[in-house]
Amino acid sequence: MKDSAASTGTSSLNRVAAIESEWRQTIRKSRLQTFAWMILVSIILLGSVELSAVGKSSVDAGWIDRIASFVDRLIPDLKADALFAGRQVDGSLASWFYDLPRWLEAMRETVAMAFVGTVVGGLMALGLSFQAAANLNPNAFLRHTVRRGFDAARTIPDVILALIFAAAFSLGAVAGMLTIIITTMGSLGKLFSECMENAEMNQVDAIEAVGGNRLLQLRFGILPQLLPQILSYWLLRMEINLSVAAALGIVGAGGIGMELERAISFTEFDTYLAILILIVFCIFVIDLVSEQLRHRLIGLTQ
Amino acid sequence: MSAEAALIARAEAILPGAVIITLERRLKTALAVAAFLIVFLACCYDLGLSWDVLGGGLVKMGTILGAMWPPTSGGELARLLLALVQTLAIAVLGTLLAALVAIPLGLAAARNIVPNPAIHFAIRRFMDLFRGIPVLVWALILVAAVGLGPIPGILAIAFSDIPRLGKLFAEALENVDARQQDSLRATGSSTPGVFRFGVVPQLLPVWLSQCLYYLEQNFRAAAVVGVVGAGGIGFELEERIRIFAFDEVAFITLMYIIVVGIVDFGSERLRAHLT
Repeated sequence: MKDSAASTGTSSLNRVAAIESEWRQTIRKSRLQTFAWMILVSIILLGSVELSAVGKSSVDAGWIDRIASFVDRLIPDLKADALFAGRQVDGSLASWFYDLPRWLEAMRETVAMAFVGTVVGGLMALGLSFQAAANLNPNAFLRHTVRRGFDAARTIPDVILALIFAAAFSLGAVAGMLTIIITTMGSLGKLFSECMENAEMNQVDAIEAVGGNRLLQLRFGILPQLLPQILSYWLLRMEINLSVAAALGIVGAGGIGMELERAISFTEFDTYLAILILIVFCIFVIDLVSEQLRHRLIGLTQ
Repeated sequence: MSAEAALIARAEAILPGAVIITLERRLKTALAVAAFLIVFLACCYDLGLSWDVLGGGLVKMGTILGAMWPPTSGGELARLLLALVQTLAIAVLGTLLAALVAIPLGLAAARNIVPNPAIHFAIRRFMDLFRGIPVLVWALILVAAVGLGPIPGILAIAFSDIPRLGKLFAEALENVDARQQDSLRATGSSTPGVFRFGVVPQLLPVWLSQCLYYLEQNFRAAAVVGVVGAGGIGFELEERIRIFAFDEVAFITLMYIIVVGIVDFGSERLRAHLT
């Protein structure tokens, strides 16, 4: 009796020892892995610093001082007593935002650019996304062609597209609008086709069973169930495109960005800040409106 | 006939408007569509869109696309590859800087770390305000402030990502499961111990994968900021578009798309492994 108890005791002790050694091994392995990752990341970081040549050029020296003096020039000298005086008075708000009517006009152009681009790009994405969804388009070759097209449209930097369009359509809002059409088509096309792949196919089958053609199947079988989702993606893209449109103007694609560019090239840095405040404000307001609309759209489905 | 009418009446009783669409609803829809069309056409008019503009541009666009073939490196492949790697380096450093600043902001904006609602509300609104500023706008102003080179590019990427990453970091912190901390506290761990073993293991993979996702995005952003003079591949592209060397533009763009694909693939694999 005693013997067997001792043997079970030692065997359980052995098992504990085995588990412990295995545990130690696991820990050691995971520590080694972490260590290897850290070395790899450090190499990447050091390589990045080396390659980006930060601090190598003579221009880089004293960049912190330059930022400080720049910030000083960025902030307008407003005078408290003349804050609400007319445009001619130095230090008033009106003299800081001296060209507000023209900026508002440029902002309107930016909004128009974003709006038209989002609507047209979204329509193109909607038309093509039926071809990119595996459950709606059995032709693998066509499907992959459309998908790779979406990928390319998303990957090419929008600024480069804008520069190319500006070369063809001359500088101005049309180039920006076309750029937004392409990038919107790429990003929304991917999202829409993913939505469609998650759609219920029962409705499509039902419409096919009562004799509806392909177009009717898509119109009444797919669209109604996805419409809230699609519209909410569309609105979200509208928000994104507004800031894209504002930025594209910098490379000559029209709208408020061109005013930013002008302010910088005339070194009117306080004007730059004024326009920036205007842009941030507009984006903020449109975000709020669009968020409300999106929440209502999602609420409608529940 | 009456059986059909009864069926319709039953359907209407269950879900009003399911079968019979009233004139009022039709009118409302028509009005909404009309209003939308009017706004759309007004915008088109404001942009100065006309068939002449589009037609003439398309003809020129055809010429440009024709000039893109065959793509050529212009004998500067080594230089272009270096610029591409430089772009990646700018993205890496920008993301790192953004993450380092976003961590304290994320901590301060998380409800379960800072109990005072005024502080995290203020920080969140502050970050929301800056989230709308596009990276190119940051780059333009920083190039003017700092001068040409990679530093403004890195700073522009960092500035535009700090509020975005800060918000994501805060949300990840708020989603940490509190039960692990409770059990650690119950077994007598100190506060740093609770943080190290109750929070960090849950948080780190999420934060890392968010950083990796932003790294992917920033590779694109780094190409964009190069256009206004922040170095890298964007600078090379801009130069060649200005002199209408579209065959080289096509080559660089193709090269860039391939590298973006590789980076995205690698980062996606890593993120799948992390979470």
